[in-house]
Amino acid sequence: MPQPVAPMRPIINALSRASTRKCARLMSTARSSQHPRRSLPQYLSKAQAHQPLIQRRTFKTVEEAKSRYRSGPFSWKAGILFVLTGGGLLYYFEREKERMQAKRIADSQKGVGAPKVGGPFQLIDQDGKTVTEQDLRGRYSLVYFGFTHCPDICPEELDKMARMFDVVQAEQPDGLLPVFVTCDPVRDGPKELKEYLAEFHPSFVGLTGTYDQIKAMCKAYRVYFSTPSQVKPGQDYLVDHSIYFYLMDPEGDFVEALGRQHSPDQAAQIILGHMKEWKGPLKKN
Amino acid sequence: MGLFGGLFGQTEEDKRATEVRAGVVAPTRSERQRCWEARDSYFACLDANNIVDALKDDKQAAKACGKQSVQFEKDCAQQWVTYFKKWRVQELQKKARIKELEAQGAIKMDVSSQFTERR
Repeated sequence: MPQPVAPMRPIINALSRASTRKCARLMSTARSSQHPRRSLPQYLSKAQAHQPLIQRRTFKTVEEAKSRYRSGPFSWKAGILFVLTGGGLLYYFEREKERMQAKRIADSQKGVGAPKVGGPFQLIDQDGKTVTEQDLRGRYSLVYFGFTHCPDICPEELDKMARMFDVVQAEQPDGLLPVFVTCDPVRDGPKELKEYLAEFHPSFVGLTGTYDQIKAMCKAYRVYFSTPSQVKPGQDYLVDHSIYFYLMDPEGDFVEALGRQHSPDQAAQIILGHMKEWKGPLKKN
Repeated sequence: MGLFGGLFGQTEEDKRATEVRAGVVAPTRSERQRCWEARDSYFACLDANNIVDALKDDKQAAKACGKQSVQFEKDCAQQWVTYFKKWRVQELQKKARIKELEAQGAIKMDVSSQFTERR
């Protein structure tokens, strides 16, 4: 057993010596560039031996050399580089963080256990054309429920929606479809919607239908609305309803509900954030 | 409209205003604006006279703010008038409650409408 060990020892010794020498050489090379005076000449090649002379020439004056010595490797150039790199990395990570958050929200709505908001519908727009969920595909849509006789909240929210839409439109033209669905189909026909919405934004799509169609639509979007019971024909009334903007993705899946606590610009940025994450196909026209 | 004894004596403008008041047509942006202004001046008068509920204290409100009330009812749909009066009571109660809570050291919290948690 001890026999094979004995002849191995010189080999191990040689190997270890070789590796130490290699290290020494590496270290000396590294050092030679920074501290030429302390370099070990026996390990230097001819070209490396001349390097200190070349380097010394870069200092034009003694003061310059002294200042370089005093400040060490820290120069204003290094400082700027450090700040730029640091700033760049910070920006990148912040952006990445935001991106991941938006993605997580969007993803969480896709999987199992996510709120099932939206779905098939068949309604008519303010020009009397039939609109189904298929017509909303291929771009994001922002869906708001209200009624034309609404005293204060809906008009305020629709002005907000117009502002939101303009901000999004400026960055992502034709990426978002603003949709207004009436909760008061008895009084809000296509004509009424057309007149009403024209005062908010020419791009708004207004949807109405029969009472049952609207009821199904509100149910699909989990919108609560209540028309007072026993309204006589011609009698005025108000409709109670939920006041969220529903952001739907180009596949018709619910993304996020935007409420009264978001300013139009904040809401637009949230929408744009989701739009930038979208990898699927988009309709262009 | 039958109440007004036929439409012959009315101008287009009067007819429109009557329809808005009755809730037959939805008000336009400028009609809404006019209504909100009438509401605000009526509420300012109620504030000045320490009247909270104009529906409950209707006699007092009519005495103190009769002029503003007439304008309010002229420029807004009847349903809106009632809605705004009720809204005022709720709004004042809400403000009083918040003030009370703040006095007790409550901290204002922004409530998110999101269905998923963020951050």
